[in-house]
Amino acid sequence: MRLRNVRTGWLMTLRELGRSRIALILCFVVPSVFYAVVFLITTQRAIAFKLASVSEEALVSVSQRNEGLVFIGLAAVGVLTSFLALHLTQKHPEVNRRLILCGYGTTELLASKFLALVVMIALIGCYVGAITPLFFRPRRFLLVLAGFMAAGYVYGSYGLLVGALVKRELEGILFIVLLANIDIGWLQNPIYYAEAQNKALIRHLPAYFPSQLSMVAAFTDKSVLNPALGSLVYGTVLLAAALVIYSRRMKLWK
Amino acid sequence: MDGLAAVTKEPGNVLEVRGAAKSFGRRTVFRGVSLDLGPGEVVGITGENGAGKTTLLRIVVGLLPPDEGSVAVRGRLGYCPQDMAVFDTLTVRENFAFFAAAYGLGGSGRGGPWAGEMARLLAYFHFPQYEAAVVSTLSGGTRQKLNFCLSVLHGPDLLILDEPYSGFDWETYLHFWDFAAGFKKRGRSILVVSHFVYDRTPFDRVYKLGRGGLACA
Repeated sequence: MRLRNVRTGWLMTLRELGRSRIALILCFVVPSVFYAVVFLITTQRAIAFKLASVSEEALVSVSQRNEGLVFIGLAAVGVLTSFLALHLTQKHPEVNRRLILCGYGTTELLASKFLALVVMIALIGCYVGAITPLFFRPRRFLLVLAGFMAAGYVYGSYGLLVGALVKRELEGILFIVLLANIDIGWLQNPIYYAEAQNKALIRHLPAYFPSQLSMVAAFTDKSVLNPALGSLVYGTVLLAAALVIYSRRMKLWK
Repeated sequence: MDGLAAVTKEPGNVLEVRGAAKSFGRRTVFRGVSLDLGPGEVVGITGENGAGKTTLLRIVVGLLPPDEGSVAVRGRLGYCPQDMAVFDTLTVRENFAFFAAAYGLGGSGRGGPWAGEMARLLAYFHFPQYEAAVVSTLSGGTRQKLNFCLSVLHGPDLLILDEPYSGFDWETYLHFWDFAAGFKKRGRSILVVSHFVYDRTPFDRVYKLGRGGLACA
């Protein structure tokens, strides 16, 4: 892998993203609107739930609003990065193939897209993290931020995988909606899974570790090592799968 | 496109296609296509819509595998696809920089070794004023010029062109053939696919592609 090619591809991908100004603005408007809606519709009434990754059976009691804000922050970062990643792998397939014909490495190309995605994850994650203290003060802010980044990493990798798997935009969008809505948009909310009958299913979904990381960090002083490592492993597996499938799709016959 | 380069059986050939066949499902596009191209030759392939001209070129450059037959290329290959394969949200210069990196001509910096060749191509095809313009703002003809120029940036030995002048105005069409003549003079070869061959003068040979293969046209 030639690092100079990765750098060139990364810069070009960032320039392309930078020129999609309305999409960029929406990346910051969407979490702001999500937060505002949660702030307006939730109350400060205390709710109690169990955190799946905390071994003790102790109930965590926090305000409904604060729990909702962390949850919606995760959902915003996950969904946005997933769609951005889909866009990065699906756009310009013929031009990317032409670049590969001309000598670009498939790994170089995907690495440059991934690095551009990392920049976007950092920007969106930091923005969501930065507006969170405007509404409430999490116990361990930096780890909550790490949870947002982890949601971006796992769901960004999922978006890359979907983009590598399916050619058409609509199919890609539906694949993301299918998982993101049910996972990061619903089941990972502790209010739902605390009383769920089949928690094993929820624990195997992509947003489980990132959401546990943020929730545990926001409302307890317990260790976040397992959710942090779990996020890293889950995201890396998805990323590796995306690389394998993308390479097969872009492969030349000789 | 060094990855595509293979050794031709005849040392004098830059391209050898032997018995290539391609079908999509039950539909046979062509079979028994054989073609040799020597240094400094300009060869045209024409044919009806759906005859498989683009498919043949995609096989030659390595984008599609043939069902039967073989393809061998000697030297560096340049390929200009029929559909505009350029980044429409990047500027003309950024497109050059991206492809220069692919060809191994240097990074995206302003003083890259490819920048001189880019300036020469922009001046030759009369669009230096668009160097900093985003491609999506350009006319179809100017985009086609860019599409073509990206295929010759690295000075290929063999140029594979799929409907290269379909969006050109008359003046650019003439410029294109001037460029091709200079290319040929330097011992480099061109394979052109087009619906229409208006003027046979620039070609050494013209073939018509049909189901049975290539026939002299």
